[in-house]
Amino acid sequence: MHMDLLAAAAKIAAEQEDKYLSFVDINPATIIFTLINTLVIFLLYRIFLHNKVMAVMDKRREAINAEIDAAETAHKEADEAKAEYDQRLRESKDEADKIVAAAVKKASDREAEIIAEANANAARMKQQAQESIEQEKRRALNEVKDQISEVVVLAASKVCEKEISQQDNAELIESFLVGVGKEN
Amino acid sequence: MGMKLLADSTFTVNGALKSAEFELFGATFTLSESVVVEWIVVIILGVLFFVLGRNLKVRPTSRRQIIAEYIVATFTGMVNDSMGAKYKKYTPYISSLFCFSLCSSLMGLLGLRAPTADISVVGSWALITFVLVQRNKGKTGGVKGYFKSFVEPMPFMLPFNIIGEIANPMSQALRHFGNIVSGMVIGGLIYFALGSFASGVFSIGLPAVLSLYFDLFSSVVQAYIFVTLTMSYVAMAECD
Repeated sequence: MHMDLLAAAAKIAAEQEDKYLSFVDINPATIIFTLINTLVIFLLYRIFLHNKVMAVMDKRREAINAEIDAAETAHKEADEAKAEYDQRLRESKDEADKIVAAAVKKASDREAEIIAEANANAARMKQQAQESIEQEKRRALNEVKDQISEVVVLAASKVCEKEISQQDNAELIESFLVGVGKEN
Repeated sequence: MGMKLLADSTFTVNGALKSAEFELFGATFTLSESVVVEWIVVIILGVLFFVLGRNLKVRPTSRRQIIAEYIVATFTGMVNDSMGAKYKKYTPYISSLFCFSLCSSLMGLLGLRAPTADISVVGSWALITFVLVQRNKGKTGGVKGYFKSFVEPMPFMLPFNIIGEIANPMSQALRHFGNIVSGMVIGGLIYFALGSFASGVFSIGLPAVLSLYFDLFSSVVQAYIFVTLTMSYVAMAECD
């Protein structure tokens, strides 16, 4: 009975041994296939995942670098453009200032010129007026002198009706005329 | 899961199931369960990578692309931090190794035997690490530097250095294997024990909590540790 059980166990164990490899068996076929499978997985990983992800990451890096470069260039260009516009603006402002200053100067020059001209005109007109007044006065005076001498001769001949020598007449009139001239 | 009750009260742990046998060059090869599960993992990861990496745009519009970029950036950053910028070209290998290891370990959640619980599988990865280490040594030191590195700092260190070259990848493989397998064994034992108890009280919560730790947490941690060790071994192999 006991022997039977042992024999059965041994038989099962033998069967098991036949069906299974032993626990720490080094099996050449397993090693060869494992090496092949490792190579296959290595290639699958490298081709399907690693290389593709690396490629897309590299592409992304390049794209980002290109973007940053472009942004820097654009920034620089904008700075340059701004500097140029500032410069131009300054120049235009200077020019405008110059133009305004020139216009103001011209206007003030013209003003002075006009005033001077006006002054000169006024002075000339005044002089002319004075001259004509003088002339008129002299003419009026002469006229008055002539009339007075006539009147005086007439009056005197009327009043005196007597003989007055030529010499007396002349003296009388002369002294009268001087007196008239003084009064004027 | 590769475990079976032998008799009424016996518990054994087996290696991977023999799925098929084939003859090649006059030798008989055994195709184990691990390789079959690896193929499932290859298909899953292939589809995942393909879907994630499809139709990427310079301006990301899909959540899928964000995830894809996050994954790649995380691995790239990890390799950069552990190995330095000059080892950038190792990133795809380290990433795919992490995915392979993690996904393999997670197969335990589906009730399959995790390929990482097979020493031949993790041993192959350790073999790759060994090759990468030797290659990096030769590349950075040349033939002279390569051989000189074995007698440094003292000539009598030669045997220890040679042992170290082999011990490093070996311990790396055994650590990964041991952790996943121990999780598998403990899980199996718990189920076995609960089955003996025939009590519904523990069988509801306990396996879930343990499975969360051994299948999920441990899978992530072991995959991370394995790739971290790979990175540091390769980077440390630099001859100066």
